[in-house]
Amino acid sequence: MKFAGAAWKYGDDVNTDVIFPGKYTYTLTDLSQFASHALEDLDPDFAKQVQVGDIIVGGKNFGCGSSREQAAVCIKLAGVPVIVARSFARIFFRNCVNNGVLPVVCPEAVDAVEKGEAIEVDVAACIVRTPRGEFAFPPLSPSVAAILEAGGLIKMLRRKLGTEHLPMPEVKFAGE
Amino acid sequence: MAKTLFENIWDAHVVAQEPESPAVLYIDLHLIHEVTSPQAFDGLRKRGIKVRRPDRTFGTLDHGIPTTDRSLPIVDELAARQITIMERNCAENGIQLYGIKTGADKQGIVHVIGPELGLTQPGMTIVCGDSHTATHGAFGSLGFGIGTSEVEMVLSTQCLLQRKPKTCNVRIDGALKKGVTAKDIILGIIAKYGVGGGTGLVYEYTGTAIRTMTMEERMTVCNMSIEGGSRAGLIAPDETTFNFVAGREFAPKGAEWDKKLAWWKTLPSDAEAQYDVTYSLDADALEPMITYGTNPGMGMNITERIPDPDKIADLSQRKALEKALSYMGLQPNQQLLGHKVDMVFIGSCTNSRISDLREAAALLKGRKVAEGVRVLVVPGSTPIKKQAEAEGLDQIFRAAGAEWREAGCSACIAMNGDQLEPGQYGISTSNRNFEGRQGKGGRTFLASPLTAAASAVTGVVTDARVLTN
Repeated sequence: MKFAGAAWKYGDDVNTDVIFPGKYTYTLTDLSQFASHALEDLDPDFAKQVQVGDIIVGGKNFGCGSSREQAAVCIKLAGVPVIVARSFARIFFRNCVNNGVLPVVCPEAVDAVEKGEAIEVDVAACIVRTPRGEFAFPPLSPSVAAILEAGGLIKMLRRKLGTEHLPMPEVKFAGE
Repeated sequence: MAKTLFENIWDAHVVAQEPESPAVLYIDLHLIHEVTSPQAFDGLRKRGIKVRRPDRTFGTLDHGIPTTDRSLPIVDELAARQITIMERNCAENGIQLYGIKTGADKQGIVHVIGPELGLTQPGMTIVCGDSHTATHGAFGSLGFGIGTSEVEMVLSTQCLLQRKPKTCNVRIDGALKKGVTAKDIILGIIAKYGVGGGTGLVYEYTGTAIRTMTMEERMTVCNMSIEGGSRAGLIAPDETTFNFVAGREFAPKGAEWDKKLAWWKTLPSDAEAQYDVTYSLDADALEPMITYGTNPGMGMNITERIPDPDKIADLSQRKALEKALSYMGLQPNQQLLGHKVDMVFIGSCTNSRISDLREAAALLKGRKVAEGVRVLVVPGSTPIKKQAEAEGLDQIFRAAGAEWREAGCSACIAMNGDQLEPGQYGISTSNRNFEGRQGKGGRTFLASPLTAAASAVTGVVTDARVLTN
């Protein structure tokens, strides 16, 4: 599997409140509105200009802050399949994996790409290709790979429990 | 082999460990609130399954619930709907809810009521769809904040996937000076080691300054472990811990207490136990702390001047500071002392317990809030509110000109209308100063309840020691 797109580059310690402001967690009930608020307080241009397949590139401790899963979900719904960062905050990392967004830790690649440049993440080869070279990242752990491959934690659990033939619930984010 | 407190708890809860995979951890206590659980219950409902351990799952209303009079209908339609959904989810699954219609006398912020009810006990694994679950680490229990997919997983399996973190001994020796508090310790740690200093680590706070703390102070320290980037914060249980837990509603009783107590006493790290990393802070040298930027690591001694980005070598850090100062409307080398504030918030899972309210009230007694400053005092739980009222603290706050509210998260997350207006400055006893956190365009200074109360009186950022000495 390969992901190729334009890089949206940000600094260290990007927090979940600037990715998806807390006030929207229940004022927005329709998933279709999530993407239009993604990264709203970090980069107002992002939601307007992001293209499906674009890749977010971040610094250290990406996604620090709240456990609210909407931060990962809004990035997914904005069409971003993968985030490359120097490091991730743990809860956000798991929220990404659990929603089928690939978090890649590759500090060298972060240094080698500027905003808007083309970047490719080759999952099978564990390589990030940038205009300034190719950089390896550690292989995904089997469990992370299995969750991502299934499309998220709940889908993976359904597969393991043998309930995947049952209809997948359409979960909306404000309860109903 | 010598083991740390963390390893003792971890090893007691591993259900399965496949090679190169996260461990499957058993969860003793699952706390839920109205904002991060509804989607998880929807998932269960549509899969046709029930909560596995409703008896180990407890709910509260805190994030979106209004902190104004609750006998009136809730004006905010969405908040009202969220609360109705929570009530239904708990009722359908046989989960105790501390809310408005049920358990209202014990309602409060999830990380305040867990310990208050005796649900939080040493040696437990505790999760909640809330990043400040680290608070419970004050009892020597392992608390992880989790996302909503994980809430659904824990509701259905009572287990969590978790990669084993490394350990960090955060040693804090010495005695705090008068006017310096537990909040200043944790702000000091985060300022020193950064908001990413704890990445991949579990912090265990040790040292003489920690040992002499009350449980409420320990909770304040552990609460902000997540702001330091660590996965959890821990403090070894001791007599202070056992005395706090004893006699509470859900605390073990009789022979069960003796059995648990014997186990709890085995939990602290062995003297020879090895940590992966060691950090330290000198409590003797610590001064009241305040943040000037847009992450909790951008903090300083309240009498210092704001750092100059030009003097920061690291490009990424320099840019972050420039951006933060621009958002905050502040200049390099400027002092924060004397800077105007529009709102003062005393509350949140960091600093809303009775001792915090007593400290703030002692300072506000016989004084008035400065003109044009809005002061919100929001107790962490309904029992704390009642306790404060029994002690007459509410009268002190009201007489000073502060608003005395019902228990909840309130202006910490600004979901319920308690918030800053664009461009306004707030001094807040909460835990996050991120852009927009307390209202779009709002600017937050994080500090202790003492500093917040002193600043309420003067209308500008104030070192409380100036008023109390």
